[in-house]
Amino acid sequence: MTESAHQPPALAAVQSNRFGLVMKKYLTAIARFYRGNPTAIMGTFIVGSLIIMSLAAPLIAQNEPTKRVARGHQPPSMELLFGSTRSGKDVFSQVLHGGRISLTVAFGAAALTTVIAVLVGISAGYFGGKVDEILMSVTNIVLVFPQLPLLIILAAFLGQVGPLIIAVIIGSTSWAWGARIIRSQTMAIRNKEFITSAEVMGESKARIVLVEILPNLISIVVGGFVGTSIYALMAEAGLEFLGLGDPTVITWGTMLYWAQSNSAFIVGAWWDMVVPGMAIAIMGGGLALLNMSIDQISNPKLKTGAYIKIWRKQKAQMIARRARS
Amino acid sequence: MGFILRRLAFYLAAIFVAISFNFIMPRLMPGNPVDALFASAMGKMPPETLAAYKEMLGFVDGPLWKQYFVYIKSVLTWDLGPTIMLYPVQVTDVLAAKVPWTVGLAGLSTLIAVFIGIIIGTYASYNRGKFVDSFMPTFWAFVGAMPQAVTALFIFFLFALTLRWFPLSYGANPDLDPAFSWTYISSILHHGVLPLVSMVLGGIGAWIFNMRNAMINVLGEDFITMAKAKGLSSRRIMTHYAARNAILPVVTGISMQIGFVMAGAIFIETVFNYPGLGLLMFKSLESRDYPTMQACLLLIVVFVLIANFIADLLYLWLDPRLRN
Repeated sequence: MTESAHQPPALAAVQSNRFGLVMKKYLTAIARFYRGNPTAIMGTFIVGSLIIMSLAAPLIAQNEPTKRVARGHQPPSMELLFGSTRSGKDVFSQVLHGGRISLTVAFGAAALTTVIAVLVGISAGYFGGKVDEILMSVTNIVLVFPQLPLLIILAAFLGQVGPLIIAVIIGSTSWAWGARIIRSQTMAIRNKEFITSAEVMGESKARIVLVEILPNLISIVVGGFVGTSIYALMAEAGLEFLGLGDPTVITWGTMLYWAQSNSAFIVGAWWDMVVPGMAIAIMGGGLALLNMSIDQISNPKLKTGAYIKIWRKQKAQMIARRARS
Repeated sequence: MGFILRRLAFYLAAIFVAISFNFIMPRLMPGNPVDALFASAMGKMPPETLAAYKEMLGFVDGPLWKQYFVYIKSVLTWDLGPTIMLYPVQVTDVLAAKVPWTVGLAGLSTLIAVFIGIIIGTYASYNRGKFVDSFMPTFWAFVGAMPQAVTALFIFFLFALTLRWFPLSYGANPDLDPAFSWTYISSILHHGVLPLVSMVLGGIGAWIFNMRNAMINVLGEDFITMAKAKGLSSRRIMTHYAARNAILPVVTGISMQIGFVMAGAIFIETVFNYPGLGLLMFKSLESRDYPTMQACLLLIVVFVLIANFIADLLYLWLDPRLRN
């Protein structure tokens, strides 16, 4: 009894210490990810600032996105940074507010995709046998289906769909590729000794999958998430551009749709089209940069930047030394 | 042989899934699906045609499995009935007129994008850490992230509308009669340049990226070190040793991209008013012509499966290990 009375504080101390260690481990990992990696820094900067700007839209933009503030198709000026739309609304305010929904849809769809891909991929890879066979035949069939045309037809059948439905249909159609990659990685890890030892120790299947296998797949899972966000961002814009989305909701896609239906380019109001287009391109490009740097974690051979420069310098010095001797 | 048969069985299964999907979709629509489906045809079609039409699409009285078999039969006999927007033209006739344009545009643009992508990717990976390597993938990632419709509209605005270098719409000069003559072919080429460029711009980034990653993996192999030790020129190592091996996964990746290329065609053909499958799909979306829409999807699925099968054969030819 006396012993058990002593234990709780000791245990708490160990746990808090352990928490500190884990935090330190993650912080060092993050620091190592960014050190000497301009691609990752630039990608994070672009993605981060666009997210913050969309979140702070009501603070940054003075005008309401739905309010008429000027005459139609006014060019960019000091008052209206990105000009006005055909119906006299502030493009700057619209692009900030639209980012909120567009980015939520992109990340939401990517999150859904990632969850399905991880569930299917790990189950197929870890359990093998019949489970693997069934899951993989479904995955392979989904994989050969052309995603975007399928998405377009689905949206057309559902009528003008809102952002939530768009996120759900993108998420539920684009998980197959990720599931395949996660499966093959799981199979590679599955027969390692630490998994066998966990099985022998009698750990539950759920714990083996979540605690032993999943952390080893984290770079692939995160890479897949970022890659799918790019795809979802473009797919959403595409659906809405074709008029399949709900045109009353302001997103980057519906901005393109309105610009196109008002023939923005032809009447010379290029800003109406270019601003949301560039917003998507910059966000997608930023995500692509992040994706490249995450790829370098799952496949260290791809590393560039500072490492290559150091290596090159040392090689040059070595050659110079040899030439001297 | 076993490999090919297994793949063929798989593609057959995939086609049946696609047909079943097309069958289920209208039945999942809220309300009365048949009336919703033909709402836009009301007034255009005489009632008896409509009734015959519904029967062909499987909307017969009776249990669902019976409807399903009626539908499968009409698809397999390639008898998809008349379109709604261009009534009474048959869906299959409309499709047949549009397919060559899109196959030409999508096929050629994919070949060009793969070719350029492989060259830039090879070059970038061989100059790791230098300017080309850091600039090219980044630049093309941003270009590729631009919505294809916006890229196409921008090109349309600049080269067709402002500079007047290229025609504004159609696949060929509508005043000319289709014939195998130089004037007609040159007109097709002239009209095809801008859509082609727009499609290539959207696709290049992915190929550079794939090729670069594949190259870097190959460049770490021992036989590359061996080739360097033999004193071969770096150009020869780059092309004959590294690129030869890195190309395999990249080329077979083409089949995965066909779906995206077809989706790109929807936007680009719409912008340039190009008479292909993409524009047809867009128009059928606009006029809620569900039979045409579904036929387009089915055709795209078939294209993707054919591309996959070609990729399988290519793999078999390029990788002798699969032959046993």
